[in-house]
Amino acid sequence: MKIITILFCILISANTFSQNYKFGKVSKEELSENVCPIDSSANAVYLYKYRNTYYEYDKVNGFKLITEIHERVKIYNQEGFNHATKQIRLYKMSAGNHEKISTIKAQTYNLEEEKIVIDKLNKSSIFETEANKYNDKIKFTMPNIKPGSVIEYKYKITSPFWSKVDEFVFQHSIPIKKLEASFEAPEYYSFKVNTKGFLTITPKIEYERGFITFINKTRNTGNGRTSASATTISKSELEYSKHISKYISENIPALKDEPYVNNINNYRASVKYELSYTKFPNSIAETYSTTWGDVVERIYESPSFGEELKKTSYFKKDIDALVGSVSDPATKLGLIYNFVKSQVKWNGYYGFYADDVREAYKEHVGSSGDINLMLTAMLRYAGLNANPVLVSTRTHGVPLFPTREGYNYVVTCVKLQDDSVALLDATEQYAAPNILPFRALNWQGRIVAENGGSQLVDLYPKTKSNNSITMMVKIDKEGTLEGSYRSIKTNHIALSFRAKYNDADKDEFLEKIENKGLEISDYDVKNSEDLSKPIIESYKFVKESQADIIGDKMYFSPLFHLKVSENPFKLEKREFPIDFGYPSVISHRVIINIPEGYKIENLPEPAAIGLPDNLGSFKFKVVGCGNTIQVSVVSQINQSIISPLYYEALKEYFNKFIQKEDEQIVLTKG
Amino acid sequence: MSRMNLKRLLNVILLLTITNVFSQENFLASFTIPANLNENANAVVRSNDINISLESLSEMYVTEKRIVTVLNKSGNDAVNAYVYYDNNVKIKELEAVVYNAAGAQIKKIKKNDFKDVSAVDGGTLYSDSRVKYLEYTPVGYPYTIKFTCKTINNNTAFIQSFRPLNSYFVSVEKSSYQINFPMEMTLRTKEKNFENFDLIKEEEDGFFKFKVENISAIKPEKYAPAFFEMMPKVMIASNEFTLEGVKTKVTNWEDFGKWMYHDLIKSTHDLPAGTVSMIQDLVKNEPNDIEKAKKIYQYVQDKVRYISVQVGIGGWKPFNVSEVDRLGYGDCKGLTNYTMALLNAVGVKSNYTVVFAGKSKRSLEKDFAAMQGNHVILNIPTEDDNIWLECTSQKLPFGFIGDFTDDRDVLVITPEGGKIQHTKKYSVDESTQIIKGKYSITSNGVLNAQVNVNSKGIQYDDKYWLETETQRDLDKHYKNRWRYINGLIMNSMHVENDKNKIEFIEDITFEASNYTKIAGDRMLLTVNTFNRNTHVPDRYRNRKWPLKVSRGFKDIDEVEIEIPANYKVESFPKNNSIENKFGHYKTEIIVKDDNHFVYKREFKVNDGEFPKEDYKDFRAFYKTVSRQDNAKIALIKK
Repeated sequence: MKIITILFCILISANTFSQNYKFGKVSKEELSENVCPIDSSANAVYLYKYRNTYYEYDKVNGFKLITEIHERVKIYNQEGFNHATKQIRLYKMSAGNHEKISTIKAQTYNLEEEKIVIDKLNKSSIFETEANKYNDKIKFTMPNIKPGSVIEYKYKITSPFWSKVDEFVFQHSIPIKKLEASFEAPEYYSFKVNTKGFLTITPKIEYERGFITFINKTRNTGNGRTSASATTISKSELEYSKHISKYISENIPALKDEPYVNNINNYRASVKYELSYTKFPNSIAETYSTTWGDVVERIYESPSFGEELKKTSYFKKDIDALVGSVSDPATKLGLIYNFVKSQVKWNGYYGFYADDVREAYKEHVGSSGDINLMLTAMLRYAGLNANPVLVSTRTHGVPLFPTREGYNYVVTCVKLQDDSVALLDATEQYAAPNILPFRALNWQGRIVAENGGSQLVDLYPKTKSNNSITMMVKIDKEGTLEGSYRSIKTNHIALSFRAKYNDADKDEFLEKIENKGLEISDYDVKNSEDLSKPIIESYKFVKESQADIIGDKMYFSPLFHLKVSENPFKLEKREFPIDFGYPSVISHRVIINIPEGYKIENLPEPAAIGLPDNLGSFKFKVVGCGNTIQVSVVSQINQSIISPLYYEALKEYFNKFIQKEDEQIVLTKG
Repeated sequence: MSRMNLKRLLNVILLLTITNVFSQENFLASFTIPANLNENANAVVRSNDINISLESLSEMYVTEKRIVTVLNKSGNDAVNAYVYYDNNVKIKELEAVVYNAAGAQIKKIKKNDFKDVSAVDGGTLYSDSRVKYLEYTPVGYPYTIKFTCKTINNNTAFIQSFRPLNSYFVSVEKSSYQINFPMEMTLRTKEKNFENFDLIKEEEDGFFKFKVENISAIKPEKYAPAFFEMMPKVMIASNEFTLEGVKTKVTNWEDFGKWMYHDLIKSTHDLPAGTVSMIQDLVKNEPNDIEKAKKIYQYVQDKVRYISVQVGIGGWKPFNVSEVDRLGYGDCKGLTNYTMALLNAVGVKSNYTVVFAGKSKRSLEKDFAAMQGNHVILNIPTEDDNIWLECTSQKLPFGFIGDFTDDRDVLVITPEGGKIQHTKKYSVDESTQIIKGKYSITSNGVLNAQVNVNSKGIQYDDKYWLETETQRDLDKHYKNRWRYINGLIMNSMHVENDKNKIEFIEDITFEASNYTKIAGDRMLLTVNTFNRNTHVPDRYRNRKWPLKVSRGFKDIDEVEIEIPANYKVESFPKNNSIENKFGHYKTEIIVKDDNHFVYKREFKVNDGEFPKEDYKDFRAFYKTVSRQDNAKIALIKK
């Protein structure tokens, strides 16, 4: 018996949308509009942005994920022309396992002498490129684009990767006039919905019935009595429920980047559907992730995580030799941490799964997963209480919801006997316990315990990074400054100095400092490789024209070239948090010898400026005695991240502090 | 291939094999690097052997064998372990072997383990070019990579040059290049910049070989000639070649131009009749060719946009004109060709022109006819001069090419053949910025300022793009331009692009509290508010390259100043008048009354090339300007 099963996926017409947004129905009003009514600075706008993602059943492969896109874009001027070029990324795993795109329907509309002129996109103008092993790119640009054009395109993507629903992005660099999106999933799939951004769009939830219809065709050939053959058709139907979320919104503002935002995508309005479990008829539910507990458990159970953590044989001998005779846990920690840093180099790849720790150890190269899981395993082997910590790096955004995709990196956490905690990352040569590389300083990490339990740990450093600068100088009658400079840098300030200095050509490094107008001698850096000690940088220098000499008076600012001269915060207002990465204290102590024959006429008043809620402070003091002046300036930022509510205060704080540092010391002849 | 050649080829291969066996042992360990090559080097090219075999007009084998020792992180790129390929270039062999400092092999990377990606950059819609590259994380420094790559190319129009030095901070122990070709083919060569390098040459019928040894790494310097102007190279071209299956013979620029015009350009001029009559109608009232051309340039700027698409014929044949007309976009070739066809339709003669685009004024090698250049512009010959049009810009005024293609030798292609011509140079006196402004200071040090800035020539080029910036971005721009003023608040920003006069006009008002420095009863006022030079050229302990100022400029400022009524002047800064070969700097304060002055400033920098000994003085000149631009008036309370 031959059975042909044909699938009918009955979709209840969802086209309740306004006529205006039907493909091709572009109006003269849309074409003649020359300024975006919701944002006059917009170069282009989405007049309509539609996405529908749903599941479709197919006999061979089961459920597939279908995404339909329809976008209509108005282009106001030449700066908006780049929105006439569209790029679509298609994922692929192997030859038969990849996303497919249907015919792209696209056209440009222009108004010419009160008539709508349509130019269709030719098939030959659509380019497909294999970007790399996992991505194909479809690119096209619309014909006949002029200021005022409206473009429109429509396509459908069929994906075999049913567990991976692309993020619904509701906010772009240009505004959206009308947004419609919907996500429809059969009851067999349960999703966790993660919403992000300052702008929330609440979906309307609907349920509908869906059917999978199996048509069984049985063909009976003639039985001898008659020559006719007959086909019997039997139909069986499976009914299921569909869960539909519909997002409808209007006039969504553009998202504009601001300086000192760690990642603008943290603030972009979007919705991410993450599969939490599947439950098919007649089978057991399979969970993916719903709570952090589940996420952690699934990660731990993955062979690339838990299994890799358990392997010890490949390093046993070396670690025994390294710490076999050591009993102090802190010493063991230090030895093993340095051992991993020196043995295995980071290949620049992120990720919390290990590709193969054994291979990484042998080849001396690995990803963050390889290196820090290996480190964790070694520390555990040596009897320390070590656990991996899942991290989302700064470029990856903040993990607000329990998802596996929320993290992209891993570090190690060791709990010592006195209950203190050391965070370690062996991918960065100049990192140290509790001094993680800058990329990992992003909110909180999640400790994955040996039993699969999890717990949050703050990644932002609590200890302040210091830069203590001492300068002893002599200023002469021409305003030339001569003296010595010494700076002691700790923690993150030391880390970034080491990263810059240690790999640089020393001459070039010096030249860079000298190009700020200094002439340097006796340049020296101590502890550049000894991470247990602060960096001590010192040199002697000469710098010309550091004072204004007017009449019989000399004027100069007490910190000379070390003063901060530019406010980093220039924008009038700000919406996103200000991320400094780590708390810091910068202190200056300057002792100035004034030229012979001059006396101090005026010194700036002492000052103390504070930020609200003890977020930071600035202290400034200048004291003169005979022919020496002593200057002490200390500024500190006490928190890694500051809410935009304090933006005004922060901007004003910097303004005042810059102004104060610019106040003049006045010397008079005679 | 004749028997003679085959024999020679075999000999050569044999010879190479022998030398390579010898050299590898020598080159794989890092400690064998001669001391002088370590200096300033991030990497050392131990040996680089390029072996090209032109089997026929349409078959070129290229074998590269390179051993590079990388000394530190910044040297990783010097391995250059990548290869481009497309429909006409097939990769036959590709391999990299990594050795540690002692010369012991630690890793071998085979062809299939190279990363394979599309060579399309972000700005390109499509290109059929792809690249395979080596991704390797060093486990320690120094290390050595032996890279081997063999390709077959069906195009013989581009024969790679012998360029032993490719980048700064890389030294070369030994580099060789050899090319074999059939006796019936004629190859031309041109050597450049070998004055300071010892080039060893062997030339025979059907065989050239070049070799250099022991070249120290060089460091980049500011205000120096561009890298390509200083580096040694031997260019090679064949009189006959194949480009995308089309054979041709070219021995000079005239032939080259003829070939390009008749084989690549002419057949693309298929402007639809409708467009022809439309464009004729558009310019029917224009009095002369120039006015017609202006109108058409404007039409093109309004109609089309630049999109980079690189397909077929090595990216050398423009799209059909009808295609650009229909799509409304194209790359530089397509858009230039389109403009040319439109001009042609109204009887205005113009010529397709090949150029090296970029800030560094690279000229085509005038006495070496070969595939050169990376961009195309349009030339309109007039009775006494040439007009140059940049057809990829929708913003530039008619006849303005800016620093992208100014002042260099280009190839102008006419139906009668090609000829080398020189593009427009923007002289110092044409590149002006004129500031007329005024400002007042209140008794508590608040600055209120108003300024009009008019820019021309190259200074126009620096600013015209501001026309379409949003207010938010303009705010950012001006706060950055005047970043030496703390707490700047922009009150109004009006910019105007006068495309007829080719002038950019900015009308700005702003304020800043605490602009002056107050010390007791005194107030220090930095006179120059609008145009402080903060740039001082880098200092070099030991300058190696000549001083080159590519483009000059002239700034003229006149500013009215009002000081608060309850203050009087205690002292004025001195006036300046400096004149030297690098330019001049003049400032003057004219007193109107007790509280009103006029500040005049003129700063001019000449373009030109000067011996390296002059660099110090040039730097000192800029230092003085910087210092004097910070000069202050001391005010004291009445």
